[in-house]
Amino acid sequence: MASLNLGENIEIDTELIKKAYSLAVKAHSKSSEKAYNVEESRRSSDPVIFSFSGCWSENGWYDGEPFGVTEINLPLLFPSLRSIGVNENALVNKAFLQRFVDKILGNSDFDREVQKAVKKNKQILFIGHSSGGSIANLATIWFLEKYIKPEYNYKISPSSPLCVTFGCPLTGNHIFSHALRRENWSRYFIHFVMRYDIVPRILLAPISSIKLEFQKVLQFLNAKSVNLAHASIDNFDASNFYMKVMKNASSVASHAACNLMGNTNLLLETVSNFIPLSPYKPFGTYVFCTGNGKLVILRNPDAVLQLLFFSSQLCREEECTDIAQRSLQQHFGYDNELQDCFQMLNEVHLEPLEQLPLSSDTTSSDIATINSALNDLGLSTRARLCLCAAGELEKRKIGNKESIDLKKPDIEKAMKYLEEDYQLNCRHRDLGCYDAFKLQETSKDFDANVKRLELAGIWDEIIEMLKRYELPDAFEGLRDWVLLGTRYRRLVEPLDIANYYRHLKNEDTGAYMIRGRPKRYRFTQRWREHAERMPAESSGESCFWAKVEELRIKISSQGFEPIKEEVLLLEAHVQNWINLGELSGDVLLEKSTFKKWWEDLPREHKLTSCIKDLKVRKAVTEKKQILFTGHSIGGSIANLATIWFLEKYLRSDSPDNYKISPSSPLCVTFGCPLTGNHIFSHALRRENWARYFIHFVMRYDIIPRILLAPVSSILLEFQRVLQFLNENP
Amino acid sequence: MTQTQYFSSGIELAKSVVNLDILQHAWTAVTDLCKETSQNEEPTSLVKFKVYELPNCTIIAFFTGPANSKDYVQGNGGGDFVTSSTLKDHLFNFLCTKANPNFSINKLAFQLFSSIFGVLPFLKSKIDNSNSKPLIITGNSLGGSVATLYTLSLLEKFNFTTTKRPLCITFGSPLIGDERLQEAISNYPAWNSCFLHVVSDQDPVPRVLINNGYKPFGTFLSCSELGCSCFEDPQTILELLMAAYSGSPENQDPNKVFESYGTFVEHLNRKALYKDTTDHESLIDWTTPPLRAGIITQLAAIGLVQSQQSQKIDINSVIAKIERQEKTMAILKEQAFDPTKRLNEIKVHMAYLEQYKKLSKDKRIGYYDRYKIGSNKSDIDLEKHKKTLTCYWEYMVDQAEKRPQTEGASLRTRSLFGGTNYRRMIEPLDIADYYKAGKQDYINKGRRKHYIKLEQMLKETVRPSSGPNQMKKQNVAASLTEDSCFWAHVEEALISCKLLSSGGSSVEQKDSAKKELIEFEKYVFDLMKNYAVSSEIFLPQSSFMKWWGEYRQITGASYSSSLTNLLKNDNNYVAYANGSLEFPLNFV
Repeated sequence: MASLNLGENIEIDTELIKKAYSLAVKAHSKSSEKAYNVEESRRSSDPVIFSFSGCWSENGWYDGEPFGVTEINLPLLFPSLRSIGVNENALVNKAFLQRFVDKILGNSDFDREVQKAVKKNKQILFIGHSSGGSIANLATIWFLEKYIKPEYNYKISPSSPLCVTFGCPLTGNHIFSHALRRENWSRYFIHFVMRYDIVPRILLAPISSIKLEFQKVLQFLNAKSVNLAHASIDNFDASNFYMKVMKNASSVASHAACNLMGNTNLLLETVSNFIPLSPYKPFGTYVFCTGNGKLVILRNPDAVLQLLFFSSQLCREEECTDIAQRSLQQHFGYDNELQDCFQMLNEVHLEPLEQLPLSSDTTSSDIATINSALNDLGLSTRARLCLCAAGELEKRKIGNKESIDLKKPDIEKAMKYLEEDYQLNCRHRDLGCYDAFKLQETSKDFDANVKRLELAGIWDEIIEMLKRYELPDAFEGLRDWVLLGTRYRRLVEPLDIANYYRHLKNEDTGAYMIRGRPKRYRFTQRWREHAERMPAESSGESCFWAKVEELRIKISSQGFEPIKEEVLLLEAHVQNWINLGELSGDVLLEKSTFKKWWEDLPREHKLTSCIKDLKVRKAVTEKKQILFTGHSIGGSIANLATIWFLEKYLRSDSPDNYKISPSSPLCVTFGCPLTGNHIFSHALRRENWARYFIHFVMRYDIIPRILLAPVSSILLEFQRVLQFLNENP
Repeated sequence: MTQTQYFSSGIELAKSVVNLDILQHAWTAVTDLCKETSQNEEPTSLVKFKVYELPNCTIIAFFTGPANSKDYVQGNGGGDFVTSSTLKDHLFNFLCTKANPNFSINKLAFQLFSSIFGVLPFLKSKIDNSNSKPLIITGNSLGGSVATLYTLSLLEKFNFTTTKRPLCITFGSPLIGDERLQEAISNYPAWNSCFLHVVSDQDPVPRVLINNGYKPFGTFLSCSELGCSCFEDPQTILELLMAAYSGSPENQDPNKVFESYGTFVEHLNRKALYKDTTDHESLIDWTTPPLRAGIITQLAAIGLVQSQQSQKIDINSVIAKIERQEKTMAILKEQAFDPTKRLNEIKVHMAYLEQYKKLSKDKRIGYYDRYKIGSNKSDIDLEKHKKTLTCYWEYMVDQAEKRPQTEGASLRTRSLFGGTNYRRMIEPLDIADYYKAGKQDYINKGRRKHYIKLEQMLKETVRPSSGPNQMKKQNVAASLTEDSCFWAHVEEALISCKLLSSGGSSVEQKDSAKKELIEFEKYVFDLMKNYAVSSEIFLPQSSFMKWWGEYRQITGASYSSSLTNLLKNDNNYVAYANGSLEFPLNFV
């Protein structure tokens, strides 16, 4: 069994690809009532294949001018298809999206059949030819969004699911591509493209420029999908169509290339005011069939875009008619071509892009294979320079990431100062950091301010890079940065808010939340919300103080009643945040702005307030030692309470970094029965928590021994013993 | 780590331009105007123009009669300059800066341009009515020169934030200005990007004034039969204008040259789809870095590589020169000063000043007076921070004023707050220096431009109404005085007091001093009422308290006004500082 190696540990059986293609083409001819087919062989190791049919009407491609795109605003179906920090949704082809939502998801069978396959633990393949490929793309993303969520216990192995398309048109814009790469999902997509197949290039042209010929091309493709042999198209129409699509492809490619090469001439911007360019951008792994049995594999989206243009460029004017015909015929020529390719299995990975040979007559042997593949695709020096620039840009992004990774120690150091020295210093003054910082009474506050500004400098730099997409796409999904961002936000944003209200910037500018909040906090909040799949704007714990300040202002001008609802909401949040450990307990200190403000609220409100006692947490805040104690099975409950406490406040990545001194907490039991098994015991010792438990046992006290006997053996007497114990407390 | 590779995007930029059909549109307009002129009228050297409304753009084309040949441009003092400062209406003065106070432009071109001054209002109305379609201004040869000057004249009033930038496309125009004009324009990328000069390798006209001290600006699109490429570095452009000239004395027929542009425009547009077949492969091997390879393809496209055999150009030295030049440019761009990036650094300096202010307050003296009095060690550090801050904000304000930023002509919001804070913190120190030196009337005579501008910018941004709410009152102890010139008013009041009590002053002087002091009272009262002045002014050693002491003596115990009544009661100072002072409604 031969398999095609796609790099990144993904291999795919060539027979499977051939089968996928025949199913994909067959899907076109199935009656139109069902826009997809399922193929499930009896062998349990075989994947379940969903194939999607294409569409041959103009408004099935371009729904609205000029490129037929729409913003994806479906947070339930596609929560990931956006740029997180800058908070911008991806654009997608409107007609394809509509078709997927109406015809595929609208059909309840589809969801059920997918679920069935998931339950059987089978690999799932979504496949499509032509615009069916775009539907397959969307189906795959829908699947990934749905089944890769933590609440579904479905582990996706690197090889599953897969989306395989043939001659598939572009589907989404640069954010679409960026989001898939961020989620590390782009590896699930494999697109086969014949060197001259025009279909993957069509959407680079606005409908207005190709309206006339596109009708005829669609007729031709439709006829061909029904009957391969008996379809033809006029040379004139084919040439015009080819030329017009390619001209637009050329505009898109050269505009993109300018940016890849670091062009700073604003002339580019000036001229692009005249004609809008296609927003589409590729994603996933592209496999270009050169036409002579070679397969050229690459996955850099910028490079793929360049290659889409350059690989089907003409060499001479006389070729035009011939190539134009081929550009349409090849759309249905994948079976023969793949047959040839798979016999030779001559695949070439264009990596690293930045080291491609720039001249076609390179003779150096170690790059000869790559060079001949580039020649087979007809790539001139100019084309090679563009690919090379795409590779260089990616390399530069990685370099940027490395350089900010190097700043991590600086971030940690400054944060450590604020987390430890400064917090401790404030505690000595009986103040929370917020209030201490706002008062700015000691030189420690000044030092903290300098640290705050140093940190702001580093984070602002990161945010600037993100805004310009100068970091690798994966960045906003990296766990360590999301966690660091969250810690930073919770620790330092209160200081920024203190500074804001200390300098009364709300007077000049308006409320912090509306006009004053720096992007470094907006971004990092969205990172966490995305990583933990929380609803938008729901992780606002770091803005707590801004909300307090604004409510203080409102109450002082409007009184309590009109804003009661807002107060209730804030209190509910506070309770929640404190219990989750997302908000530091020092907000409850006697001298805190919050506590003072809250104490001034009407008495009847306070009596019913949900935060009137947040005691355990307060004890933690005040660094009091906590003793859990119990006698008999009360001791067992004390054990469990202690473990709960340790889990909650002693976890090393706990955001408030609460350091427990060696003597605190303690669990002291008297005549306590056994509580857990050997793993229970093992786990407590592993965490070094066993030392917190002290059990007093009398030499002959039977209770600690009871659970060593099965209940069946002591059933009769146990009742009476319990009775006795109960009567003699 | 491997070295960063640079690229040269001239070919791609050229393809982007060529693909968009704007060159054809522009050229069609020029030829149309040319035909119309030659059919209808006697040949004159007057400037003709016409406005073309296309579906996606508006084109204004200029044509200057038949006198387009090389000799006309070159001969008869055609290379003469006029200086910008002598121009009528100071038309281009907005291009000048302190560092670059004037420049020179071609006299002939300016004369042609000034001949159409009468129709400028008409053209303006056309532009205003074009429904925000982008604007192309075009012309060939001297017509292009007129187009260039017309475009320049538009830049002053052009709102880069709301309107799409105009594009000036010239075909075979002579160079138009000296190095200082080049500098004035290329300092501002948005301006520079409005000019695209198409130059054919057969056209002598763009090349004739090179030796007369003329310098290029904007982007040059060089074209030959083989292809085209864009260049933006002025030095490179000059180099290539000289090197890539395939004309000879025999084929300088202006009509032929004129037509050659039509052929190129048509040809280039078609060519964009074909693989480049130029013969340059021999110059590139596997060791060629991308920048060099990119430059070689560009030179091949403009016909230099091919012509090297016939004209004995040392192609390798041209390549090396350009490569060096482009690399330097790329590195410079990488290290370009990014002011917003420094904003956080600047805030650290501000933090030091805040600290100074706080320490001064702890010593029962406001930071204004502490600074005015003296020189101790921490004041020397303070000078350093102050200097850094002033340099930074002077630069920022200067940039914001001049640079047609894509994001808006004013400062970004974040910068504006920083600037306001800076002004309120630092300007008092400048005032202290000023009066310490014995000078008077700071507000009119001593105030630096960037303070005035910063204050203006703040006023221009919309702000919520700020009555003195509870928060503001409570914070007054920590806040900065809103009017950064407060201390100048205090100093003036002190001077007025001196005038009043001095025997040597005339009656008029005393009267006006008295009037000014009443004004000052009202001013302070209003500030206090709005809690807009810091409570630090009541510290025992402050200049304000000194003034109060003197004023109290002058006016005597019987004098009563809203302000003096407040000031007479020492408890009020504390009340003000913690926000609990109540005010009478109006100043009486």
